[in-house]
Amino acid sequence: MTNSSAQQEKSVLLDVKDLQTHFFQRRGVLKAVDGVSFTVREGEAVGLVGESGSGKTMTCLSLMRLVPRPGSRIVGGEIWFRDQNLLELTDAEMREYRGHRIAMIMQDPQTSLNPVFTIGDQVMEPVKLHLKQRGAQALERVLEALRSVRIPGPEDRLRQYPHQFSGGMRQRVVAAMGLSTNPELLIADEPTTSLDVTIQAQFLDLIRGLQREHQTSVIWVTHDLGIVAQMCDRVNVMYAGRIVESGEVRKLYKEPQHPYTKALLESVPIMGNRRRRLYQIDGQPPDLRSIPTGCPFWPRCPSVMDICKEQYPPTTHTGGDDFVHCWLAEK
Amino acid sequence: MPEALLEVEGLVKHFPGPSNILQRSSVVVRAVDGVSLSVDEGTTFALVGESGCGKTTIAKNVLLLERPTRGEIRFEGENIHQLKGRELREYKRSVQAVFQDPYSSLNPRMQVRDIIGEPLRVHERLGGRRLQTRVGELLENVGLNTVTGGFFPHQFSGGQRQRIAIARALALRPKLIVLDEPVSGLDVSIRAQILNLLVDLQEEFGLSYLLISHDLAIVEHMSHQVGVMYVGKMVELAQKDEMYSDTQHPYTKALLSAVPRPDPDIPMSITISGEVASPINPPTGCRFHPRCPDYQESAICREQDPEWREIAGQHWTACHKVDSKMDSAVHQ
Repeated sequence: MTNSSAQQEKSVLLDVKDLQTHFFQRRGVLKAVDGVSFTVREGEAVGLVGESGSGKTMTCLSLMRLVPRPGSRIVGGEIWFRDQNLLELTDAEMREYRGHRIAMIMQDPQTSLNPVFTIGDQVMEPVKLHLKQRGAQALERVLEALRSVRIPGPEDRLRQYPHQFSGGMRQRVVAAMGLSTNPELLIADEPTTSLDVTIQAQFLDLIRGLQREHQTSVIWVTHDLGIVAQMCDRVNVMYAGRIVESGEVRKLYKEPQHPYTKALLESVPIMGNRRRRLYQIDGQPPDLRSIPTGCPFWPRCPSVMDICKEQYPPTTHTGGDDFVHCWLAEK
Repeated sequence: MPEALLEVEGLVKHFPGPSNILQRSSVVVRAVDGVSLSVDEGTTFALVGESGCGKTTIAKNVLLLERPTRGEIRFEGENIHQLKGRELREYKRSVQAVFQDPYSSLNPRMQVRDIIGEPLRVHERLGGRRLQTRVGELLENVGLNTVTGGFFPHQFSGGQRQRIAIARALALRPKLIVLDEPVSGLDVSIRAQILNLLVDLQEEFGLSYLLISHDLAIVEHMSHQVGVMYVGKMVELAQKDEMYSDTQHPYTKALLSAVPRPDPDIPMSITISGEVASPINPPTGCRFHPRCPDYQESAICREQDPEWREIAGQHWTACHKVDSKMDSAVHQ
């Protein structure tokens, strides 16, 4: 929630340039990520919003170089983490970054914890592997991580298995694993979708506190515009494998430039705002195997023009790091 | 004053707890523990609460998928669990359901026209051209092209499947539709389409909805009356406007404040900590007291089950700490 000018002075931690990740299928090439560019500054929380199939999860997996193989491949672009292009690293070198300097919290705490190992063992793993700590020192580190995510009685909880934890507590364990190595960048991929409202609020508050304390940069992947408004400094709106608009959160929510962003913001019911009808975007997101030429949103766009059907709109800078891809903004 | 279509009175549903081969379980899961509500004709009643609060169990009882342990459910004045023969068939026609997951609620081996036509064949013995005409009408009602009747569910997106499920629910011209989290499996832009469709259909056919949801923004948008549940009990029930503008129960307040609002200038606040209590071994007294910000170690909250009382016109709550406006009105 820092203002944008202060944010601009911070140096860029992650700079993604024209990232392309494709799935190769018998029926053709599926362009899951189709030229994504964005930056994350130090200590900044950046949202990746979009509907299912818009490419947000694949973008994150690409950052971690964890795209499912075989079947998909990063086919182009650059991912600059400080002065290093992650795509030029060997697999062994990449492991130094993954889980250490870049951590990820996945959507489902059910599947991201191993049911046959204790919580202590699992939180210990990154500590041993990356921080090279052993014995009492490592144990202290694990306890500290569990305490930082406010798990009550961590000394006893260490010896328990994932099934003995509630959904909310499990997600905290996953967060503890991610944060135990003090990463510079945390990628949170819809970590609260399976949580109840009050538990979600507690989890969001926890992560926000830790982020501020350690000045960690965070990428929040979500389809929930409420979470983005509460958690992020910047938002990147994705549609059909591309970022169609990027902006500082207050500015983007007040004055969305792209018709898709506008439509998204108007289509959610807002408490205290009684409209009998919601704005609705007709149609549905395109099939990624046959994305329409030009702007992929044109078949659903209320202000479509002839040029939209022919050419993808260029980047229009709208101040600071903000940009939009729309022919309307270009004029 | 609209007439009550569906009345649930003192509904209790207990399930046997987890058991194994050697031992029958002695614990009881108190899924629903004395809940009353009524759905008026042509309106939407929303049941809100977190997982395990019993909202789906109530829906299952209404749909005759479970029998209540105690209490009764009346539809147009008749106890639904005592209906037989023609009356029972009539009830089953009048009450339909749309479920959360349109991927598992449609048979993947059936064409859409058979999915929608099945209730018509069974209940109305329609066939041939008359059946096809009616199916075509239903597809149009929910905004699908009539040529899609020959397709299979996998050829549709989630939103379109939910439209098919709605068309099937509409087929027998029901009076009440139970909507169990009808849009939580759908994308944001598709949700608006389905919510608008449900509102339109309600107006067009005079439908009543029993809406089950955990999303307070959707509930505010859709409903006329709202009931908030916590671990098997109703904690607050009011007309929608009352509920959102004059919230009384601390749990309802906590729920409302915990929603992340899509506006960076309205920060979310966390007023409660801890986890949802278990219906197997619910806390004594008021079930919310271990998490309640207003509890402050008062013995009454810990020991006594709060009374379900009307504190203002059409506004009920169960909380020791809430003053009744009805009483003060009498005193004055």
